[in-house]
Amino acid sequence: MCGIVGLHLKNPELYPRLGELLASMLDCMTSRGPDSAGLALYGDDADHQPRMEIFKDVGLPREICERYGVAKRSGYQGIGHTRMATESAVTTEHSHPFAPAENMALVHNGSFSNHASVRRRLESDGIRFVTDNDSEVAARYIAHQVGHGADLGDALRMVLKEMDGFFTLLVTTATQFAVMRDSFACKPAVIAETTDYVAMASEYHALASLPGIGSATVFEPAPEEVYTWTR
Amino acid sequence: MTETLPSSLPLAESTPAPALPADARRRSHTFPPEVVAQIQRMADEGHYEIRGWGAKRHLPTFDDLVFLTASVSRYPLEGYREKCETKTVLGTRYASKPIELDIPITIAGMSFGALSASAKAALGRAASAVGTSTTTGDGGMTEEERAASKLLVYQCLPSRYGFNPKHLRMADAIEVVIGQGAKPGGGGMLLGQKVSQRVADMRTLPPGIDQRSASRHPDWVGPDDLRIKIEELREATGWEKPVYVKLGATRVANDVKLAVAAGADVVVVDGMQGGTGATQDVFIEHAGIPTLAAVRLAAEALREIDMADQVQLIVSGGIRNGADAAKALALGATAVSMGVGPLIALGCNSRTYLQDGVEHDATADYRALGTEPGYCHHMHTGMCPVGISTQDPRLEARLDPEWGTRRVINYLKSVTMELTTLARACGKSNVHNLEPEDLVALTIEAAAMAGVPLAGTNWVPGSSDCR
Amino acid sequence: MDTLNAGGVRLSCADLTTREINAALAELPDGAEARIEEPWGRHNLAVGLTNRITIDIDGNAGYFIGGLCDGPDITVDGFVGWSVGENLMSGSVRVRGNVSECAGASAHGGTIIIHGDASSRAGISLKGGTVLVGGDVGHMSGFMAQAGTMLVGGDAGHALGDSLYEAVIYVAGKIASLGSDAKVENLTDSDVLRVKQLIDLAGFDHIDPQNVKRVASARQLYNFDALKDQKY
Repeated sequence: MCGIVGLHLKNPELYPRLGELLASMLDCMTSRGPDSAGLALYGDDADHQPRMEIFKDVGLPREICERYGVAKRSGYQGIGHTRMATESAVTTEHSHPFAPAENMALVHNGSFSNHASVRRRLESDGIRFVTDNDSEVAARYIAHQVGHGADLGDALRMVLKEMDGFFTLLVTTATQFAVMRDSFACKPAVIAETTDYVAMASEYHALASLPGIGSATVFEPAPEEVYTWTR
Repeated sequence: MTETLPSSLPLAESTPAPALPADARRRSHTFPPEVVAQIQRMADEGHYEIRGWGAKRHLPTFDDLVFLTASVSRYPLEGYREKCETKTVLGTRYASKPIELDIPITIAGMSFGALSASAKAALGRAASAVGTSTTTGDGGMTEEERAASKLLVYQCLPSRYGFNPKHLRMADAIEVVIGQGAKPGGGGMLLGQKVSQRVADMRTLPPGIDQRSASRHPDWVGPDDLRIKIEELREATGWEKPVYVKLGATRVANDVKLAVAAGADVVVVDGMQGGTGATQDVFIEHAGIPTLAAVRLAAEALREIDMADQVQLIVSGGIRNGADAAKALALGATAVSMGVGPLIALGCNSRTYLQDGVEHDATADYRALGTEPGYCHHMHTGMCPVGISTQDPRLEARLDPEWGTRRVINYLKSVTMELTTLARACGKSNVHNLEPEDLVALTIEAAAMAGVPLAGTNWVPGSSDCR
Repeated sequence: MDTLNAGGVRLSCADLTTREINAALAELPDGAEARIEEPWGRHNLAVGLTNRITIDIDGNAGYFIGGLCDGPDITVDGFVGWSVGENLMSGSVRVRGNVSECAGASAHGGTIIIHGDASSRAGISLKGGTVLVGGDVGHMSGFMAQAGTMLVGGDAGHALGDSLYEAVIYVAGKIASLGSDAKVENLTDSDVLRVKQLIDLAGFDHIDPQNVKRVASARQLYNFDALKDQKY
């Protein structure tokens, strides 16, 4: 039970502001998840190859962003999460984002009701887990499908078939930014799109200070629809 | 044309039936007569059984714990003379007007609709007389109840039947109901036969239709949103009133921590023995965990997050007497809450009822429901033979409210005396000083669930600690 | 708190806590006007008020805006979060933007007017209030609505009016699907008149009252009957 934010920048002029914008969005979600917080930031390295970095820790989002100098970081895409732990411990390992594969990251708000069975099936396929967090199951499930050739959208649609419960998921790869909600759509999600960016958050509050938000197309993702944006 | 019938045949000389062999009535543990009857009923009716009351199956209970009262190493208080404090304060975390009770025993939420208006009023008057609170239920606040109860807890339930901000401000505390021990994860139920015009009007529904209340709140889902909801309730009432969060006992440790994270002043944990006016039997008997296990988990959860001093714990579900109350308090509850016990005191399941000063026998009415005094769980029918769980004016007249009030007062006083008797014998001048170390268990199950040693050993099953 | 005009006050979320803002609003006399500035998604603004005042919220706001109110007329110039006008008793909440889920949840009275779209479960558990949406509504709207009226100027999502009781839903656009026990009924003259009144109340100009669908309960789930194979 948590707060989610994400930002996929289309306009390279905004790249230097990625960390600053995301840190402010994350701060708005403090009350949804005061236990721990984390971010995954995507940028291009010196060889122009995409590179994802994860920063996560126990504590308030503002402190964590300061600790890792998030506001000064640039990049083209990022996601963040504030956590109110439901069924597993409050530790850095249990914090989001989960990074189940190279350059893939997932944040989740909600609660899966059959994650233990899905975990057992994945473990029998040789997948290793680091925590008992239900969100890690979704992350590894998606990575497993993508590893077997599914594209991200299809992997998310398979989550709808395999996993039960209430969930809003935001998943990123080096090139994609994807949002999906379960059939009940009981956990909040708002998307705002302009020519410069796509932004997603649990509450509008977190989007309200983005540049040009006044003219953005704002909508709530429909149940069981996969929304993807590609760099 | 008539035919003469043969005269009746002479009876064969009666021979006694041969005695049954010893194994002729071997009872099946898998299909005992009750299960055979249940299967026959399902085959007749085509749906699950709906009934009232709480779990009837055998469960580990507080009866499996005993107190290590004082002897030489500790000294008892004089049982009939020396004072043992029972004052209890609830809602000290955020509320500017916490609830102050004279006894750590409250009356649990029961709806007007499930109960008659006079039953609700009798409970309210009795609670006021002994200095404790009553709680509304699914269906809103009645004038009678507000007038009768000095301290009234107003429930905010998923159905929101009759939920009114005016009543919210008239309440002394607010209880956000997430679940109930009898049916954690399920919504309430009031069958059409109890939906009288007055009940229907309060709930904004046509009379006579089945009311199946929602299992989730209409305006928020999950602890992150609950946090905002609780703030709304506080804003609407000037941050005066304690906000309780009531949980059906299932994943207790997680749920208690989340209720606290969402801002609860008081957490109410209702174990699986908790009663209900009507729900599916399969829910009553097969969902949730026993109160004995729930109280320990809840108290432990509060200690783990270092909130045991700030957030109070109320435990309910099958609390019957002062021994249950004392054990719940020793395991970490600040107060207990009772529903079925006070109803029995009012006359529920009694063979007789008092009307116009005359005692009447109700056995025939119990029989008509297919039950007997002492076994009745037919609150759902609205045909209560003693006028408590009914909306039928003819039956409601069978409960003399003054007589009922006196009986509930007597019951609550007796429970309190039992509680203080045990506390004094443990050397406590305040019932809130009872602690887990005052208890040992008689069974391994109870030892494991309550986290206290098996009597005569220092073994706490499931724990590495010995004491 | 600054004076807005005769009797009016300005309250800025940049300077004041939610508690301070609501306390200031509660003290205003009937007929007063207030403006809440820089709301920035703030939750629980203008909740639980009983005075007949006018409140303008100047921007986007969070959850439960106008919840538990019994009197004021509230206007939001922006987008709001979940459960706007939750358990409203009287008065109105008007949103000149989109709203999130559960708009008007359990509203017992009063009017909630949404000029944009409403997300899932608009009018859930409605108990006599009026929910008027100029745009579309999301899935499960009108779920278990007991009494009152909804008007949808745009399209309705899946499972509209699932487990409806006595509330009535009018839809001008398309209905993706009806929920259990909901059915489309013939539009009567009194329905047309009612819709016209609702359109006038909301100030909508894109709905033809002759050309809406009336959705109401088929009343097949009112009493449990196992032999009817009800979805219970």
